[in-house]
Amino acid sequence: MIRFLKLYERFGIVIFIVIASVFLAVASPNFLKVDTLLNIVAQGTYAAIVGFGMTLAITSGGFDLSVESVMSLVSVSLALLFPLIGIPLSIPVVLAVAASVGALNGLIIAKLKVSPLITTLSIMTIMKGVALLVAGGRQIVIQEKQFMELGTGKVAGIPIPIFIMVFFFVLFYMILYHTPLGRHISAVGSNENAARISGVKVDGVKIMVYTLVALTSGVASVIRTSQALIGSPSMSPGFVLVAITVTILGGTSLAGGRGNLWGTMLAAIFISMIYYGLNLINVQIFYQMLSVGLVLLVALFIEGLRVRYLAAAKARGIKV
Amino acid sequence: MREGQKRSAGVWFASQWESFGLPLLLVVMVAVFAIIAPAFASVFNLVMNVKFSAIAGIGAIGMAFCIMSGDFDISVGSMSALVGVLGASLVPVIGGFGGVLATIVIAAFLGFVNGVFVTKLRIPAFITTLGMMYVYRALAYIYTNNSPVYIQSTFWYFIANGNVLGVPFVIILMLLCFGAAVYVLRKTPFGRYVVAVGTNKTAAMLSGINVDRIKITVFTLVGFFVGIATVVLASNLGSVNPGMTGQGYEFQVITVVVLGGTALGGGNGNLLGALFAAMIITSLRNGLGMRQVDSYWQFVATGLVLIFAVALNKIRYSLLGQREA
Repeated sequence: MIRFLKLYERFGIVIFIVIASVFLAVASPNFLKVDTLLNIVAQGTYAAIVGFGMTLAITSGGFDLSVESVMSLVSVSLALLFPLIGIPLSIPVVLAVAASVGALNGLIIAKLKVSPLITTLSIMTIMKGVALLVAGGRQIVIQEKQFMELGTGKVAGIPIPIFIMVFFFVLFYMILYHTPLGRHISAVGSNENAARISGVKVDGVKIMVYTLVALTSGVASVIRTSQALIGSPSMSPGFVLVAITVTILGGTSLAGGRGNLWGTMLAAIFISMIYYGLNLINVQIFYQMLSVGLVLLVALFIEGLRVRYLAAAKARGIKV
Repeated sequence: MREGQKRSAGVWFASQWESFGLPLLLVVMVAVFAIIAPAFASVFNLVMNVKFSAIAGIGAIGMAFCIMSGDFDISVGSMSALVGVLGASLVPVIGGFGGVLATIVIAAFLGFVNGVFVTKLRIPAFITTLGMMYVYRALAYIYTNNSPVYIQSTFWYFIANGNVLGVPFVIILMLLCFGAAVYVLRKTPFGRYVVAVGTNKTAAMLSGINVDRIKITVFTLVGFFVGIATVVLASNLGSVNPGMTGQGYEFQVITVVVLGGTALGGGNGNLLGALFAAMIITSLRNGLGMRQVDSYWQFVATGLVLIFAVALNKIRYSLLGQREA
C-alpha cells in the first residue's frame, strides 16, 4: 500500500490524464488533433500558473484564499492604467500591486501570527471591496486591441500563454528544488519549530511565499484580462477552488513539506480536459463547479489515505 | 500580573470583554451612528437591526461550537443557498410548516455529511468544507436552473415578520436558540467535551472521549443552525436565490464568532459575546448604508473588523495568560 501511495504521489495524475484521454478520444473525433490538444493545455494555463504559487504556499504549510480578489484588482487596474501609462509599463506596475497584496498577507501571517485561513479570508474580502471601488462597480472595456495578442496570439503555432506557463514552471521549479529559499519553504512546511531552531528565517520565508502566490495570481489575471479585453472587478468566482484542487490532486501534501510542481501542472491540464468533456456533452456551466468540487473531494480522500499510511509506516519504522 | 494598576486594569477589561466590552462597543457605535444619521436611532430601525442580527447570530451559534472544537466550516453560505431552494420549492407539496422543517432537517443532514467527511478523511476541515462549499453551490444552481424560488406560505412569512404579544417572533426565536445553546455548552457533558476536544484533541481522546462522534455532532449542529438562519433569511426576503443567497455568509458568521471572543485555536468560547457581536456587525452595515456609504466599502469594513477582532483576542488572551493558538 505504501509503495502504491508513493507511486501515486509521483505518477497518479498521469493515470487520471490517460483515462480521461481515452474517454475523450472515443467521445470526440476532434480530440486527437494538435490544435485541440494545444487549446486544452492553453485553457489550463491560468490554473497551472496560480497552482504553482499555491503549491509553494501549501508546501510551506499554509494556503491562500485571496487569489480571486487579487485577480480582480489586477484586472481593473490594468484597464484603468492602459490609457494613462501604456501597455508595457502597466503590466509590471499591476504585478507589483499584486505582489504587495501578497506581501501584506505574508506580513500579517508571519508577524501577527494570524492563521492563513483568517488572514487571506479577510484580505480577500477587503480586496474585493477595493477592486469594486477602483472600478466603480462596473466592468471596464479595454480599448487597446493590441493587448489581446498576449493572451490569444501564437508563436510557431503554439499559444503564447503556454510559453508563459512553461516559463513560470521552470522558474518555480528552480526556486523550489534548487535554491536555499525552496529548501527553507519545505523545512517550514514539515516542521516550523525545527526550521526556526536550525536558523531558517521563518517569517521572511512566509512573506516571500505569499508574495509569490499573489504574483502568480497577477500573471494569470493579465492573461485572462487580455483574452476578454475587459477589466472585471469580480473575476472568475470559484477560481481559488481550482487552484487548490490542482495543487492537491497533483500530489502536493496538505501536511506540508512536499511540493510537486509537475503534478500541479498536469492536474491543471486534467481539469481543462474535464471542462472540454463537459462542453462536449453540452451541460450548463454549473457542472464545471460541481466537477471541480468532486475532484477535490476525491483528491482529499486519497490524500487522507496517504497521510494515514505514511504515519502508520513511520510508527513501524519503515523508511518513507 | 504583578506589574501594577495599569496591567490589572487591562486584565479586568480583558476578562470582562463579553459582558462589558462588547455591549459598550455596541452602545458607542449606536450613539455615533445616531449622531451622524438621525434616522438610525428611530425605534423602528433599532428593532429592525435586532431582527436582522438574527440571521448572522443564529448561524454563529453552530460556528461557535465548531471553532471551539478547533475546526472551521466555510461551506455554510452555500449550504444556506442549497437548503433554502430545496425547502422553498417543497412548500407547494408539503406546506409552509413542512417546508420550514425540511429546510432545517436537510441543513442538519448536510452538516452531518460535512462532519463525516472531515472526521473520516482526517483532512483539515476548512479544506474539506471548501470543496463542499462549491459542491453545494453548484447543486443549488443545477436544482433551480439558476432562477430564484419564491416562498408562498403565510407561516414561513410569519417567522421573520410576525409578532407574538407585541414582540417580534424572530427575536424570541434568536433568544431561544442562544438560551438552548448556552445550556448545552455549560450544563451538559457534550458542551464540556466540545471544549475539551478544542483545547487538546489528543488529551481528550486519551481520556475516553469519542472525538469523531463529538466532531460529527458539532458539524450537524452547524448545519442545524444554518437551517434556522436560512428560514429567517428567506422569510425576510420572500425568496431564495441560488446564486445570491449566502454569498459571504461564512465570512460574516466567522467574524461574529471571533468578535464575540471565541479563540480561533479552539477551547475558549463565548456565546453571549457572539449575540452582541451579531448586533454590532448588523448595526455597522445598517449604519454605513444609512450614511449612503458605497456598499463596496462594507467589504473593506467587515474585512478590517475580522482582523481587528483576531488581534484583539490575541491581546486579551495574552493578558489573561491563556492559550490562543
